[in-house]
Amino acid sequence: MSDVVAPRTGLLGCLGIQARVIGALMMREMGGRFGRDNIGYLWLFAEPLMLGGAIGLLHEIAGHPLPGGLNPFMFWVIGYVPYYLFRGIVNSAPSIIASNQSLLYHRRVTVEDILFARFLLDGAAVGIALTIFLLVFGAMLGEWPDEPGLIVLGMAGMLGIAQGLAMLIAAATVYTELFDRITHLFTYLSLGLTGAFFMVFWLPTDLQQDALLVPTVHCFEMLRRGLYGTQVPTTFDIPYLVAWVAVLNLLGLAALRPARRRLVV
Amino acid sequence: MIRLQGVHKSYKTHFGAKEVLRGVDAEFRRGEKVGILGRNGAGKTTLLRLIAGVEHPNQGRIERRMSVSWPLGFAGAMHYGMSGADNARFIARIYDRPMQETVEFVEDFADLGSYYRMPVKTYSSGMIVRLGFALSLAVQFDCYLVDEAIAVGDTKFGRRARAALADINARSALLLVSHQAETVRAFCETAAILDDGRLTRYDDLDEAIAAYHAAAA
Repeated sequence: MSDVVAPRTGLLGCLGIQARVIGALMMREMGGRFGRDNIGYLWLFAEPLMLGGAIGLLHEIAGHPLPGGLNPFMFWVIGYVPYYLFRGIVNSAPSIIASNQSLLYHRRVTVEDILFARFLLDGAAVGIALTIFLLVFGAMLGEWPDEPGLIVLGMAGMLGIAQGLAMLIAAATVYTELFDRITHLFTYLSLGLTGAFFMVFWLPTDLQQDALLVPTVHCFEMLRRGLYGTQVPTTFDIPYLVAWVAVLNLLGLAALRPARRRLVV
Repeated sequence: MIRLQGVHKSYKTHFGAKEVLRGVDAEFRRGEKVGILGRNGAGKTTLLRLIAGVEHPNQGRIERRMSVSWPLGFAGAMHYGMSGADNARFIARIYDRPMQETVEFVEDFADLGSYYRMPVKTYSSGMIVRLGFALSLAVQFDCYLVDEAIAVGDTKFGRRARAALADINARSALLLVSHQAETVRAFCETAAILDDGRLTRYDDLDEAIAAYHAAAA
């Protein structure tokens, strides 16, 4: 009877189960979002690719010059695509548990698995889209990233901030419907503050200090430093960003525990 | 073994907290077949969901020393946006079962025809029960938690389901919730009565059924 599910398993067994569950949830999410029709799973990164490209092109055509003589297409893409990741994850947070709730009938499926599957999927989608853009920048505009590592780190920071917030919102949604209503408002209003569309050196000195309090501003500055190198001045503080990511994620995980106990499935 | 100690469960409603379970103590051993009898609304389903770990008690402890199925006979455990076949794939993935075999087994047992490749949200309620039961048979547990809905009905599926339950019975523990004494008698060796948020175990099945009928009278 080796086919019978074991009642308990060791740490490695648990990690194996968790990896399988997260993989299955990612497949589920892809099937649910994109289906098998037309280009199917390619939509995963086609969506951020099209949106980023459209925003970039609009600004390119509008032709407003940017401080530091930056190329408008590149600037708006490198701002919009990471912001798209942030907005997508945070906006989906209030409904993320509810949309997979029936799968919690399986004790192996945890709310953390459901959330992490989503974070990984969104992170991969936007990561692929950004990589394609960077290749386009290099091949067509001759602008290869100066420090690719900083671009990866900036995106990881973005994902970290977004998922910490998303875990907190998902946990809070178990207690109140309020976040269903205000999350989209929050992300919409945050658009101007995240640092997606301004650079710190554009701001007056006193405003620079305030802007650098916002953790995502550091992500965007890192991304630009990684892309442009020292063509333009950038300011960021990696330990500050890491501290934000750690605190938000720990609080998020801590909030999910009691929330799961209260959840009515 | 499954052990429940002082399990309380209440739900928040607009009229204040509704206490469904108020101190359930019980122990179910490996291989036991136990019927849990209770009126509609007695909390049978809630008890099953807590034992399965779908929901958590407000107070008390539930200890599982054997693998326990999800509650069978309910609408949960599958995703409505996915097709029956995709749900079978999901189950195969998370429980580490062979993919192709699982998909074919569920297709054969659930007997959904072309609906098997369509989203579950397009199914009738009978089809959902069939899919759910077929999915659960694709994975083997030490203990099955079963709602009576699966065991009744004189349809082709009802007969197959009863045969499958008898088969499960031969190798696993079974907790069957029902409001009908006859269903419990057909599958179980002992019984317990859930009433007023508490569970009373009887070693003798006839004694339990007599007590259940007496309480109703």
